Amino acid sequence: MSALEFRDVSFTYPATDTEPNPAPVLAHASLAVPEGAFALLTGGTGSGKSTLLRLAKPEVAPTGTLSGHVLAFGEEVREFSPVESAQTVGLVFQSPDSQIVCDTVWHEMAFGLENLGTPVPEMRRRVAETCMFFGMEPWFRRQTASLSGGQRQMLALAATLAMRPRLLLLDEPTSMLDPVAEKDFLAMLFRANRELGVTVVVATHAPEPMRDVATCAFRLEQGRVRELSLDDAVAACAFRPEDVAPAGSKSAVSGEKPALSLRDAWFRYGRDTDWVLRGLDLAAPEGQVTALVGGNGSGKTTLLQLACGALAPQRGRLSRPHAASQAYLPQSPRAILSAQTVREELMLWSKGAGYGEAQVTDMMERLGLAAVAARNPLDLSGGQQQLVAFAKLLLTQPDLLILDEPTKGLDAAARTKLARLVQEMRQEGRSILLATHDLAFVSAVADSVSLLFDGAVTCTEGPDEFLAGSWLYHA
Amino acid sequence: MLTMRDTHTAFDTCHPAVPATYFAGTILIAIFAMQPVCVGISLMGALAFSFAARGWRRTLEGLRWQLPMVALVAVANPLFSASGSTLVAQLGPMAIYQESIAYGACAGALLVAVVLWFEDAACVLSQDRLLQLGARALPTVTLVTSMAAQLVPQLMQRSQSVRAATLATTAAAPQGSRDRGVRVADQLMSWSMEDSIERSDAMRARGWGATDRRSCYLPDSFRTSDALALAGIGLLAVTSAFLVYVACSQWRFYPTMPRLVAWWGYVPYAAMALLPMVLDLGQRIRWGRVA
Repeated sequence: MSALEFRDVSFTYPATDTEPNPAPVLAHASLAVPEGAFALLTGGTGSGKSTLLRLAKPEVAPTGTLSGHVLAFGEEVREFSPVESAQTVGLVFQSPDSQIVCDTVWHEMAFGLENLGTPVPEMRRRVAETCMFFGMEPWFRRQTASLSGGQRQMLALAATLAMRPRLLLLDEPTSMLDPVAEKDFLAMLFRANRELGVTVVVATHAPEPMRDVATCAFRLEQGRVRELSLDDAVAACAFRPEDVAPAGSKSAVSGEKPALSLRDAWFRYGRDTDWVLRGLDLAAPEGQVTALVGGNGSGKTTLLQLACGALAPQRGRLSRPHAASQAYLPQSPRAILSAQTVREELMLWSKGAGYGEAQVTDMMERLGLAAVAARNPLDLSGGQQQLVAFAKLLLTQPDLLILDEPTKGLDAAARTKLARLVQEMRQEGRSILLATHDLAFVSAVADSVSLLFDGAVTCTEGPDEFLAGSWLYHA
Repeated sequence: MLTMRDTHTAFDTCHPAVPATYFAGTILIAIFAMQPVCVGISLMGALAFSFAARGWRRTLEGLRWQLPMVALVAVANPLFSASGSTLVAQLGPMAIYQESIAYGACAGALLVAVVLWFEDAACVLSQDRLLQLGARALPTVTLVTSMAAQLVPQLMQRSQSVRAATLATTAAAPQGSRDRGVRVADQLMSWSMEDSIERSDAMRARGWGATDRRSCYLPDSFRTSDALALAGIGLLAVTSAFLVYVACSQWRFYPTMPRLVAWWGYVPYAAMALLPMVLDLGQRIRWGRVA
């Protein structure tokens, strides 16, 4: 028996004023995930992976026209009672920030069981066992707000598993995590799959890290699902740095004043807290792409906020010759998106920056956003939001572009587009400073890589040289 | 915001109902006991526990504004209420009486004592312990409070990143602080709204609303020892309240203040006020670090 089965399922979102004839998201899609499998559901950003997963969970299924059968363990999911549904199918979402409900870890773990009216002794036992399985005892009484993104996502997984579902669906669960947290999360997911026998279906556009744990793979394209080998699934989603045309010579323009420099910069957030930056020296050469890499909490975001003037160092010198013409992409694109449609969003700064409709249309065309021009940017997938935010900044034509994790949540196609745009900016003589975990992207666009550790720059090298000498990082 | 309850202090091993009852009783008595000795006892107890549990630095930082407040009330009272019999000074048409100053100082000290007791209570009754108390009777209120509690720090963090993002892109940076404030608030609002949709999906995916009767997970259980402690504290509170009432009814500020005398009846109230400090000290002695 299949744990999850889609039989000839078609789904179309309801028509709106801006989209009178929406195209179907799923068109006669069929798939069968055997019990105990670790299945990958791959496909580009916005291909309908989330919609497909949500259809298997009637409580959160989108409204629209649905035909065909969605079955979990041989039963129609729409015929489950709410309690049965919660105990059969679990769903973990993408964002570690917005799926945590309660203020403490113990309350979050118990939340789902409380909803089902589980008797207290049974609840205590399940919470205890799930915490032990996940090794969460040290933070059982912590406040959820004090957890890192990786821990929060792990908590979301644990809290869902505490309800003991037999089928677990995950919607891009690791796209907001750094590579180390991603590995930890996947290791846990793998253990849940093999040791607890939970069938796992992960929707992802970056299946590479799951290659070794997955047992089967599907690809969603143009509303249809096909099964393919794991290698093919990974290959279809891979980002190839060589696809990005090299931007001429990568020779450094020496002797010029840097586009940004920090000398002996010290920074901490409060008098009682540790130094985040300890005597950091950094010079981003004019007209080049400078990449910063480093672990979580190594101070990358802090450094970028210093670079854009949002924070000031407590000691040391900061020189920002481009302070009058810069743009900053924060880690979460939601921090700069606010308009009703993508087109309005991109037009928002047109007056101050002096561009018009034509440039906006052109930009949407180039980033593949033309099809979603009339949609609300916040309704788009995480990767598309990232592209909209990036386009918004690019339109202001800044001399210095500061990017925090620009490729987070992007599929290979979007990363390629982004890399090309960054290359183009560089050719126009603009300078770019970016912090990222994505070494493939770095090797495609960067002129130099700086490794941040213990609040200082440990080394600065060309990307090829850096990768060749690195024990940890691979493109 | 504390990331974890980092102070191991009085009532650490009790059910939260015990400290909740204690602080409710102490604060209630402190508010009504407008008599110099009672105010003194209450202030002393509150300060002693504040030094022990919250540390000298935070206590002194608080006193930096609390002491001037006592002085202010002491000075301000005679200016507004010209009662009493012992003339201290004559400022033009205004007579300043000693009784009036004493009343002001007493009121100021009472105010500071109550503020300190609240701070002490907050230190012992962290929010998750407090929430457990209402969990059975008011499950939804408890849940909403719990949700709000985790959203506040998130909102603070986000407002910082929104501010950075709004100001950092020069071509779009808002002019003037008002425009900037509006932009940041607007941005935060749309971000939070969007999140709340996702959160409600996450809640429904985990069975929110699946049954009418939610059950309730309580990490601490109520034991016989808690009941005994509760009874003891109740007895102490009732005795103190009665004796404090007697003391207050025999005391007046105007027109002249009676002489204060040593009286056994202050002992239960003093014991009650010093209880948390003694418990804290007991723990410290047991762990061999009196510092």
